[in-house]
Amino acid sequence: MIIVEKLVKSYDSKRVLHGIDHHQQPGETVVLIGPSGCGKTTFLRCLNQLEVPDSGRITINGLTVEGGQHPNSGEQHEQQRQLRLRAGMVFQSFNLFPHLTAMQNITRAPMVVRGMPPKSAEDLALKLLAKVGLESKAHSHPCHLSGGQQQRVAIARALAMEPQVMLFDEPTSALDPELRGEVLSVMRQLAEDGMTMIVVTHEMQFARDIADRVLFFEEGSITESGPPEQLFLSPQHERTREFLRRVTLRS
Amino acid sequence: MFALRPPSLTGYRVIYFLLVSVAVLGGWPDCAFAGDHLKKIRKRGVLLWGADAEGGAPYVYPDPQKPEKFIGFEFELAEALAAKLGVKARLVQNQWDQLIPALERGNFDIILNGLERTSDNQQRIAMSQPYFVYAQQIVTREATRGITRLEELGGKRVGVLSSTAAQRLLEEKGGVELKIYPGNVESLRDLKAGRIEAVLLDLPIAQYYAKDDPALKFAGAPFAPGYYAIGVRREDLMLLAAINEAIKDLDNNGMLERIYRKYGVWDERQALLKNYQPDVIMHRKSVSALREWPKFLPLLLRGAATTVELSVLAMALAMVAGLFIVLVRLYAIVPLQWLAKAYVELVRGTPLLIQLFLIYYGLPQIGIRLNAFVAGILGLGLNYAASEAENYRAGIQAIPRGQTEAALALGMSRWQTLHHVVLPQAVRVVIPPVTNDFIAMFKDSSIVSVITMVELTKVYGMLAASTYDYIGLGLMTAGIYFALSYPSSIFANWLGRKLRYDHR
Repeated sequence: MIIVEKLVKSYDSKRVLHGIDHHQQPGETVVLIGPSGCGKTTFLRCLNQLEVPDSGRITINGLTVEGGQHPNSGEQHEQQRQLRLRAGMVFQSFNLFPHLTAMQNITRAPMVVRGMPPKSAEDLALKLLAKVGLESKAHSHPCHLSGGQQQRVAIARALAMEPQVMLFDEPTSALDPELRGEVLSVMRQLAEDGMTMIVVTHEMQFARDIADRVLFFEEGSITESGPPEQLFLSPQHERTREFLRRVTLRS
Repeated sequence: MFALRPPSLTGYRVIYFLLVSVAVLGGWPDCAFAGDHLKKIRKRGVLLWGADAEGGAPYVYPDPQKPEKFIGFEFELAEALAAKLGVKARLVQNQWDQLIPALERGNFDIILNGLERTSDNQQRIAMSQPYFVYAQQIVTREATRGITRLEELGGKRVGVLSSTAAQRLLEEKGGVELKIYPGNVESLRDLKAGRIEAVLLDLPIAQYYAKDDPALKFAGAPFAPGYYAIGVRREDLMLLAAINEAIKDLDNNGMLERIYRKYGVWDERQALLKNYQPDVIMHRKSVSALREWPKFLPLLLRGAATTVELSVLAMALAMVAGLFIVLVRLYAIVPLQWLAKAYVELVRGTPLLIQLFLIYYGLPQIGIRLNAFVAGILGLGLNYAASEAENYRAGIQAIPRGQTEAALALGMSRWQTLHHVVLPQAVRVVIPPVTNDFIAMFKDSSIVSVITMVELTKVYGMLAASTYDYIGLGLMTAGIYFALSYPSSIFANWLGRKLRYDHR
């Protein structure tokens, strides 16, 4: 379902991703962990083309986009957009549209991109708001919502486009500890419903709970991977052990 | 004894004392200045004479062969006059229709620049013996038929120089569509461009600028003769007397004729100078525009209507064109981006005045003829478009990158992202600077008077030049500008508040 082959990405002369390979089954939840700056976020951003990889190829549900050059033809832009439609993205800083209400944040893309009639878009939005427990906030602007509420609206917004994969880029890092639970439980519910997910996070307990597979990133490569029990309880590499020791001590 | 003294004497003394006090406190500095001003000029060794050398041929103008030197029949007259007074002459450049106020401010000692000896002018300043007899000449295009006399100008578009006898003549006649120009060259150029049907102007100017132009012709004989005289401040009586003496001498010894022949402006009319009898001038009460506001306010408001129309249309053009420019600059292919950037830098780096001249007087030379109103809107609008583009650019770049990324991640195209996410947010950032520009536009729009548009400031200038009430009319005009711009800034504040997300 997701096939990533030899993905390479550099900023200026600094190489951030060293030829990543990754295969993921439908319904599988994969969690990426690793020290800051190891390339986890870049990997995620390449998957929905917010970064254009230098080389390699990405296939999501049968659609393949080759890395290498920035799109400049209409056709290449369209291909890029099609890939994005398959992958919903949730950002660390929510990025809700501040000029729109929670409801409008959710309905805008289905109406504009898919041409969904306003009525159906609103029904869909109410259903999704109910799913993330915020039907009462439909007409609030983002500035009147807490961080946790904003992130839940952002998840609903991404789900409204009915993506086949959900990408989460440190979705709770910008939140106060007491607000993280509500976001994590929405994500847990999604995983149980069978959504294919890739999650970048520093929440180790959460990772252990929901991951089908954990990937350990180190300096632009996946150095270790496996089911959570294996990776958390008996890591193979010294670096993985050291990282886990540090984050467990901290939390 | 005491009883014999007239009882009212004390009263006379009090009145006399009061009169002297008033003279000393109020009038004394002027009086002393007046008596001594000729002496002051002689002590200084220089006679400062005010004139407008821009488009000033054949009166006074830069020598085409040696542009750093001035020539002209008035230039040589000034030299001769100064020599008679025993001093050197020095030209002080001043815009023609503002010569009288400048004389009163003391910028120079005399005006010597085709100033007509009319009662209007003598309301304000003293005028010397005439030194030249001018007449009015109608000039048309070579092909024009049927215009040879003043009467035949009715219903035509006719150009005149601002504040001249020609303007007054046509205003008194009525029924003529007047176009008022700040200079002579511009009106003749518009005549050739077909924007007007005729120009009425003083004969010497016509002789220099129009006589040898094959595209133009003198229509009919000169008419309505009048006198040019030198203007001095009312209180400078000694100076006036000395100048009258000098003019008479220069006429009698043939100097005037020599100078005028040299510049081709001598004609039989100049014989009138010899037996000139000064007419008695009735001094009109000076006009107070504030007291007579019902007469002046409607005229100013009509000018204000033009100002509003012009600013609103020009701003609308600027806002639309600015959006187009910024979109090209930020999102088009690279060569077009350069073009947009070059446009912004060029427009911002050159004066609006020059741009207006290029559009109004320059474009006809390559066959594009715009009327003054359209040229004004284009000039102001395209100039402000550059500023609006920069305002928009700042507004767009103030929207966090994450907003664009979120929209793209939802599958929106770049255009949809701009339309639904970036621009609606940028609008809020951009409202204050754009409103500021709009208010500045109200005031900048006065510059279109240089291309013959009569808007608020031009109406003010014309009324003030004829009533001399610069203060009263100035206050009224400023009041109108304020009444126009203040509501705009209130509206902008209200809009800014209304569009804030947390006040909904």
